[in-house]
Amino acid sequence: MSTAVSESDFLLAHRGVGQDLGAWVVGIAFGREGRSVGFALGDGTVRLAALADIRADWTVVEAHRGAVLAACADGKDGVLTGGDDGRLMRVAPDGTAVELAKYGSKWVEHVAAHESGIRAAAVAKAVHIVSAKGETEKSLAHPSSVGGLAFDAKGKRVAASHYNGASLWFVAAKEDKPRLLEWKGSHHAIAISPDGTHVVTAMQEQALHGWRLADGQHMRMSGYPTKTRSLSFTAKGKWLATSGAEAVVLWPFFGGGPMGKAPTELAGGDGVMCTAVACHPQHEVVAAGFEDGLVLLVEIGSGKVVPVAPPGRAPAGNGVSSLAWNPAGTHLAFGTEAGSAGLLDLAKR
Amino acid sequence: MSDTTVPVTVLTGYLGAGKTTLLNRILTENHGKKFAVVINEFGELGVDNDLVVDADEEVFEMNNGCICCTVRGDLIRILGGLMKRRDRFDGIIVETTGLADPAPVAQTFFVDEDVKRATRLDSIVTVVDAKHLSARLNDSSEAEEQIAFADLLVLNKMDLVSEEEAEAVERRIRAINPYAEIRRATKSDVPIEAVIGRDSFKLERILEREPEFLSGEDHHEHDSEVNSVSFEVSRPVDPEKFNAWMSDLLATKGQDLLRTKGILAYPGEDRRFAFQAVHMIADGDFIGPWKEGDARKSKIVFIGRDLNRPQLRRGFEACQVDS
Repeated sequence: MSTAVSESDFLLAHRGVGQDLGAWVVGIAFGREGRSVGFALGDGTVRLAALADIRADWTVVEAHRGAVLAACADGKDGVLTGGDDGRLMRVAPDGTAVELAKYGSKWVEHVAAHESGIRAAAVAKAVHIVSAKGETEKSLAHPSSVGGLAFDAKGKRVAASHYNGASLWFVAAKEDKPRLLEWKGSHHAIAISPDGTHVVTAMQEQALHGWRLADGQHMRMSGYPTKTRSLSFTAKGKWLATSGAEAVVLWPFFGGGPMGKAPTELAGGDGVMCTAVACHPQHEVVAAGFEDGLVLLVEIGSGKVVPVAPPGRAPAGNGVSSLAWNPAGTHLAFGTEAGSAGLLDLAKR
Repeated sequence: MSDTTVPVTVLTGYLGAGKTTLLNRILTENHGKKFAVVINEFGELGVDNDLVVDADEEVFEMNNGCICCTVRGDLIRILGGLMKRRDRFDGIIVETTGLADPAPVAQTFFVDEDVKRATRLDSIVTVVDAKHLSARLNDSSEAEEQIAFADLLVLNKMDLVSEEEAEAVERRIRAINPYAEIRRATKSDVPIEAVIGRDSFKLERILEREPEFLSGEDHHEHDSEVNSVSFEVSRPVDPEKFNAWMSDLLATKGQDLLRTKGILAYPGEDRRFAFQAVHMIADGDFIGPWKEGDARKSKIVFIGRDLNRPQLRRGFEACQVDS
C-alpha cells in the first residue's frame, strides 16, 4: 500500500467516529425517520447510533439469538433484521426490539422493506410478505433457495433471485404468478433500477446478469476476478456501481448501455478488491469499501477520490462488508468483517 | 502462514449405515469442542451446545462449460452465514443424505472463493454397513461413489458379521479405494480424533498413506465399476508436459475420474509437488522437500470408472523428462 496518505487525511478522523464492535458487520441501515442508524452484527445484536450525536454511546439491542444475516431500513422508521434463529425482527429508533415473525429452524437470509410499510423476508425457497401491521400476508414460492431480494422504487413489485434466474412478483396481485426471468446458473445479489426498467443479479460465476423488462433483452456483464456481492444504482439510475474487482466497476445504463459498452473503472490501482459499494442518494458519488478495510468516496464524473477510512492493520479478514448512506445523503456508515465500524457526518457546516 | 480456516468434515453413508449414531457420538462426547452441524433432517440428534443447521441439498451446475462441475448451493450460503459467527465453533460437520453423490460437496470447497477463504475440507468420512454393503454396491452407484471419495471408512455393525464376511467386505472396499483408512466399528464407536481433524485434503497429506494392496487378488473388477490404478515413474516429471496431459485428461475423462492424487518430482526442484483433483477441478502446490536419500519417484493415483490402465500409464510415463 502507498503510505503517502496520513491518518489525518481521512475524513473519519475529523468528520466521524470509529468503533470496534467485535463482530462481523452484516448490514447497516439508516432509519427512514432520519434520526438513527443500526449496525447489524454477527453476534445477533444491532448497535443503534443517534445521528444527532454520533459520538454518544451506541445502544446495544439484543435482536437475535444467533447471527443477524440481513438488515435494511424498515418501512417507516427503525431497522428490519433477519437472523439464523429464524426470526424477523424490527428494531425501533428507541431501541425496542419486536419479533414480527418466526419461521422455525430455517434462516431468514434476506430482508427488504418499502416506505409504504410493506416488508419481505426470504426464508429458504419462500419469500414472505409481511404487512405494516406485522401480519404475514402471503408466501411466495420459488424453485430453489432465494439468493437476494429487492423491492422496486414504488414498492409494487418484489424481485427474488434464485437458481436459474429471478422471479418478479406484483406484491398486491390477486393471483400470485411471477414473471420468471431466466438465465442458467446461480444468482444471488439483486437490484432493480430506480425507474423499474431493469433487473440485475450477481452470479456465482463472477459475472452479472441483467434483464431489460420491456423486451426481455439479456445483458451479460462479466470480467470480474471475484464474486460481486454489492450492487448499487446511482440515484437516477444512470450507473450501476459494483464490487468484485480491483476497482469500483460502473456499468452505464444510458446511451444504449450497458450492452456493448465497456464499464468505467474508478479508484483502482492498488490491487485490492472492492468488496462493497453504496451510491449517494442524490449525487453521482459512490462510497466504496475494499478488502483491506479502506473506505473512500469517488465522484463518477471526475474520478476524484476522497479517502474516508484507512486500511486496517489486520492483513486479512477485515474487508469492508457493509456501507450505507442515510436518505438525506448527509451521513455515511461502514463496517467490516472483523467488526470495525465508522459513522461520518458529512453535512455542510 | 497460520491457518485460520475452519475445518469441515463431510459425513456420507447409506441410510441406516450409522451416520446419525456417529454424529451423535461426536456431538455428545466430552471433547470440549463446539461444532456446527449441517443436516438434512432434524430429528434424532441430541444436541446441547452445538449449532444445528437445517439444509436442503441443492446441487447447482456451474456455468463454466463443464457438466460435471456441480456445487452445493445451499452449502455456499450456509457456510457464508456460519462465518458471520465464526468465533463460536471449532469445526463444521456436513451430513449428506444417504443417496448423495459426494462430488458436489467436495467441489464446493475448491470452486467457491468465499468458502475457500473461510473454510477447508478436512476429510470425507463414509459410514458403511458391514452386513449390507455388498447388496448396496450391487444396486447403486452412489454407494460406490461414497466409498471412492472416502478418506476414512467406518465399517460399522461389525457385531452382525463374521470375520470372513468382514474381510470380504473390506476386499470390495479396497478394490474401489485402496487409499482410504478402514476402521471397524460397532454402533459407530470410533474415537472422535479418528474422524475430525484428519487434514486429508491438505496437499501435504496427499499420498501419505500407502495403499493396502491386495495380495494375489488384483482382479476384483467383476461387479464393481469404480476402481483405482496407480503408477510410479523414476525420471523427473516435466511440469509442462504433465500440465498439458492432465488438463486434457481431466477435460475429456474428468466425469469418470472421481479422485486423482499425485506427488511429483520436477527437474532441479528440491520440493515435492502435490496434486489433487475431484473430477475436473484440480489443485496443486509445492510441499515440503524430498527426504534426504529417498528416491525421488513421482506417483499418481486415479480412482474412477472405466480406467484405461495402459493408456494412463503411457500418458504418465510420457510426462518424464527425456533420459
